[in-house]
Amino acid sequence: MSMILDTKTNRRTVLKTGAAAVGMLAMPSVLRAQEKPKEIIVRAWGGAWGDALKAGVADPFTEATGIKVRLDFTEDNEIKPKIWAAVDQGRVPPIHVNWDTTTNATISALRGATVDLSDLSNLKGLLPLAKPSGLEGYPLVNTYAYVYVCAYRPEAFPDGPPTSWNVLIDPKFKGRIALYDDGIGFNPISVIVGGGTFADIPDNMEPGYEFYRKLKQNEPLLGEDADFTTWFQKGEIDVACTISVNARAAKESGIDVAWTVPKEGCKVDTDGLWVPKGLPANEEHWAKEFVNFALTKDAQQKWCSMLGLPPVYPGIEPPADLVGDPSYPTTPEDFAKLVSVPSPVLVENQPIWFAKFNEIFQG
Amino acid sequence: MQRNQIIRTRLGWKLLDGIERLVSALWPARFKGSVGRVLLLPAVLLIGILVIGLGYMIEYSFHELDLSTYRLKDEYSLVNYAVIADRPVYMRVLNRTLLAALIVSVTTVFLAFPYAYMLVRTRSALTRKFLLIALFLPFFIGQVVRAYGWLIILGKQGLINSLLEGLGLPALNLIYNYPSVIFGLIQYMLPFAILLIVPAVAAISEDVELASEGLGANWISTFRHIVLPLARPGLIGAFVVVFTLTLTDFAMPEILGGGTTDFIASAIYDSFFQLSNAGLGAALSMILVMIGSVIVAAIFYLAGTGTLGVREQSR
Repeated sequence: MSMILDTKTNRRTVLKTGAAAVGMLAMPSVLRAQEKPKEIIVRAWGGAWGDALKAGVADPFTEATGIKVRLDFTEDNEIKPKIWAAVDQGRVPPIHVNWDTTTNATISALRGATVDLSDLSNLKGLLPLAKPSGLEGYPLVNTYAYVYVCAYRPEAFPDGPPTSWNVLIDPKFKGRIALYDDGIGFNPISVIVGGGTFADIPDNMEPGYEFYRKLKQNEPLLGEDADFTTWFQKGEIDVACTISVNARAAKESGIDVAWTVPKEGCKVDTDGLWVPKGLPANEEHWAKEFVNFALTKDAQQKWCSMLGLPPVYPGIEPPADLVGDPSYPTTPEDFAKLVSVPSPVLVENQPIWFAKFNEIFQG
Repeated sequence: MQRNQIIRTRLGWKLLDGIERLVSALWPARFKGSVGRVLLLPAVLLIGILVIGLGYMIEYSFHELDLSTYRLKDEYSLVNYAVIADRPVYMRVLNRTLLAALIVSVTTVFLAFPYAYMLVRTRSALTRKFLLIALFLPFFIGQVVRAYGWLIILGKQGLINSLLEGLGLPALNLIYNYPSVIFGLIQYMLPFAILLIVPAVAAISEDVELASEGLGANWISTFRHIVLPLARPGLIGAFVVVFTLTLTDFAMPEILGGGTTDFIASAIYDSFFQLSNAGLGAALSMILVMIGSVIVAAIFYLAGTGTLGVREQSR
């Protein structure tokens, strides 16, 4: 009896499987391309950055679609060659979505490693900032702007916040200042504070290099995002050029840090999301859906509010602590006070600036 | 019953004969002398893969980066090597790295020798255990963690500066400079050097030292004319290992250097990852490999072929 039952069950299973297989074959490829993967992997920055992406985009996306989102905290510069190699060799890339600086993303687009995102439904109505400059279509989509502010320890500035970037060459702060180790975020500002103008960038960077030479005498520390927080926390530095997110996160964790936009302005830049080529069709579809989801009003509001950055979705109010803060530009007038260098100029010139920066500071 | 047993025994023999025939077919008797060589195969394969990688690196180093596509150009050129020669910063970073490798190697071997000697010669089991624990404990703590440990001790608000402050003395800049990188590297390399010197010291019979002293040599003479020459393979081996590890170190200068005392490994990393210029990174890597190889070859040449206990076979 049990034999008969087993046979029947097996037969039923075989029939079901067969029907499913026939159904699969009969299913239009468009539908097959939408099969949900178990998870998608999104490269992200850690700390406050990753927390914001998780709470603002990844978790709500999982809730809406059932697809788990795994954040991969590989350094942005290190994931780049891995993706490029995978795309060139026809392998599946190691991540589905790359959260990247617009400059790095533009380089990946120039290499032909990015999927076109022009068909995303949520691109409509976004601020012009969302569109990458100097590229056709949307090989990446910018998601917010951020500012490299002058972060300082209020205790070291009893007379009020520094008003000029010249504070970095004040001998009073010798050995107690910090910059990014590749000059990112400060290169254009160095030209202006060094006596040049915005029009000098990129053809005449000499005023900036001269400022760097003076700055070197003041023995700066050079590091990455995480280093600034550690240095402020350990009392190693009094003033630094860093992204407002890091300063705000440090302040929220109890470190005595404030920030300002000095009279010479601050560099404003953007980050974006992109999808690498070479993913299976269904995974590419859901990777694009993740990007599309990150552009919805709710996701933009939560993600960018946590970061304290102005999103590309229009009309979202700044977090209460950043209302009127010059590091949170919302209007064209706000942006006019900041220094914005187009991505194509950055892509073309950053290696040259970095070489010079290195030459001065490693000497 | 007995018949079954006989059958089983015969079957067993047949099975063993079969296995022997199979082994003979797969590995004929004339190959028996090659067992040692076959066991070397994994190592040869590993080195082979490394050589293939090196071959790719050499190839990349002759291609210039095209900034409009961020791909290496197809044409072969010496542009990357010319860039390195043209920018004094690379020479400065290379000199800094070589000087550090020399200082760290000499100091580490100097510090490691008495430790290794004590570890081998001590008659106290407790002392030996303590020395062994102290030797192996650092291996359980990674290089990055150890470097951060130094931040806590040497930082502006670290242990030493807090003590100085307590004594009413001004704080010192003990970190984020070249000496702090050297200090961190010596501390990191010391266990490697000790481990390499210990077998060399252990191979020196204590009787030889006693004989020397019995013949009237004092402790210094015995040390100079007996112990040091006999321990030379270990000392040279430790020097070479510490030198090459320091030459290629990345983490210590990154963490303890404060961003302004990069070693050549940092310049290679920057070329590959920050500049996305694999050609330049490969050219820098080739220069590092060449310099390291030439120096190590020179050490072996000067120290003689008997170094590291490897003897030339008589023909």
